[in-house]
Amino acid sequence: MTDAPITRQPGEHWNDADGVHIEVRGLVPPAPFVQIIRLIESLPVASAIIVHHDRDPLPLYDELAQRGWSARRIEGDAGEFRLRLAKDF
Amino acid sequence: MAGVNAFLGGAKGRLLPAALVFRYFASALLFHALAWIALFFAAPTLPGFVGGLGWPLAALHLVTLGVLVMTAIATSLQLLPVASRQTLVPSHWPYDLVWLAFTIGVAALCAGMAIALPALLGAGALAVTLALLLYLFLLARNLYGARGMRLVIVHGWAACLSLLLLVGTGLSLAGAYSAAPVLDRQTALTLHVTFGGYGFMGMLVMGFSYILVPMFALSDNPAPRWSNLSVTLAIVALALVLLTAVDVLPPRLFALAIAAGAVAFLIHVALMLQALHNGMRQGLGKSFVLVRLGWAALAVSFFVALAWDYQTPSALPPGLFVVLLIGGLLTLLLGVLSRIVPFLASMHAATGMRRPPTPSGLTAQRPLDIHFYSHIAALVLLLLSLLSGTVWLVRTSALLGLVGALAFGVFFVTAWRRMTA
Repeated sequence: MTDAPITRQPGEHWNDADGVHIEVRGLVPPAPFVQIIRLIESLPVASAIIVHHDRDPLPLYDELAQRGWSARRIEGDAGEFRLRLAKDF
Repeated sequence: MAGVNAFLGGAKGRLLPAALVFRYFASALLFHALAWIALFFAAPTLPGFVGGLGWPLAALHLVTLGVLVMTAIATSLQLLPVASRQTLVPSHWPYDLVWLAFTIGVAALCAGMAIALPALLGAGALAVTLALLLYLFLLARNLYGARGMRLVIVHGWAACLSLLLLVGTGLSLAGAYSAAPVLDRQTALTLHVTFGGYGFMGMLVMGFSYILVPMFALSDNPAPRWSNLSVTLAIVALALVLLTAVDVLPPRLFALAIAAGAVAFLIHVALMLQALHNGMRQGLGKSFVLVRLGWAALAVSFFVALAWDYQTPSALPPGLFVVLLIGGLLTLLLGVLSRIVPFLASMHAATGMRRPPTPSGLTAQRPLDIHFYSHIAALVLLLLSLLSGTVWLVRTSALLGLVGALAFGVFFVTAWRRMTA
């Protein structure tokens, strides 16, 4: 199975019906981690964030937990590690 | 957090077993304490030490091999697969063998140095060599498979080549005590110190810093143009040292090598300071005060080396350069380790079936505070003792260093216990 083509620019984020999406594939570590945290910090409302990643971002989870956020893996394209981040209430 | 734990299971392939990684760190911390004890016994001979078997050499290698290299092995073998999307070697026996051979080897090597027993030293050197060559294979495998981290990979390959030279010259120096040297002693010593301190440790530390420092500070990656210049200059500097040491290039170019290395390192430090300054997380605590002190000591070590190369060492005691280089690396590494241990412990705890503890929840701050003040005081006293030639200052330094090492050990054990609770 070949990986699906990536149509967005690395670091780009956009709004969709299911939340704010961020594309971090192609960024050099730790840029994906930093960009995701920066997006979380910049959101005026704690809406869901969909992360398009190419790996399981291990260091991210502690950072999310410290901010009261949690993560869940959801279905993504081939070769993608897609996460849904949401604020815990 | 149930969702987090559910998918973290898939990440286990990139994490070494916690017991294995922490065994490396535990051994490093044990050697750390032993190094300060050895320094205490080395006190009478340390101020005028210029080489040869005895307690000073043992204390030095307990730090360099026992603490610095041991930690570098564990950190590189664990962090590279995490950062580079790789699964580990399916079987863990190579990692176990590296730890076993290296731990026994360092113990035998340093005991042989302390009591001036070349046969024991030689046996230890062979075990260390075996461990390091196996580690080199594992590291090279990780580097070969790593993707999207060009800067770290370049540093890693430079560290690999440096390790080969470190091992080769180390064997030659060890062999000299059994009347079997391969290289001229001065050549071997120059290459051993350069490729051990700046080549292997320096390149690994700089490479990983490009990931770890921005990650801890939550800042952007340093500008590639400057980081590429830094690593290029560092490699040129190492190549110049090698070529001048083996007489391919004239000795006067050695000063150029030091200057290139100094510029490379200063660019690197400037990039790291910029990352810390621009990061979303300010105030990284005492751990990064240690890191900054380590950078400062390493930077000064280049200038001391340059002063020596220009034949102006009369006012500089022989051990000054070694304390700046090794003390700087140790200080930097302990600062980073005080961040990495809870970070790794948290990642390992997260693979369980419960809410993972945060790194701060795994950190015992009071032992770290004790270590911080004791370690700095110990190094300052050690520098003063070398400048003044005072034996009791060396002993006081060793005792303070031991207090710091034990406090760091308490921090480590606390992190382990909280992780496994």
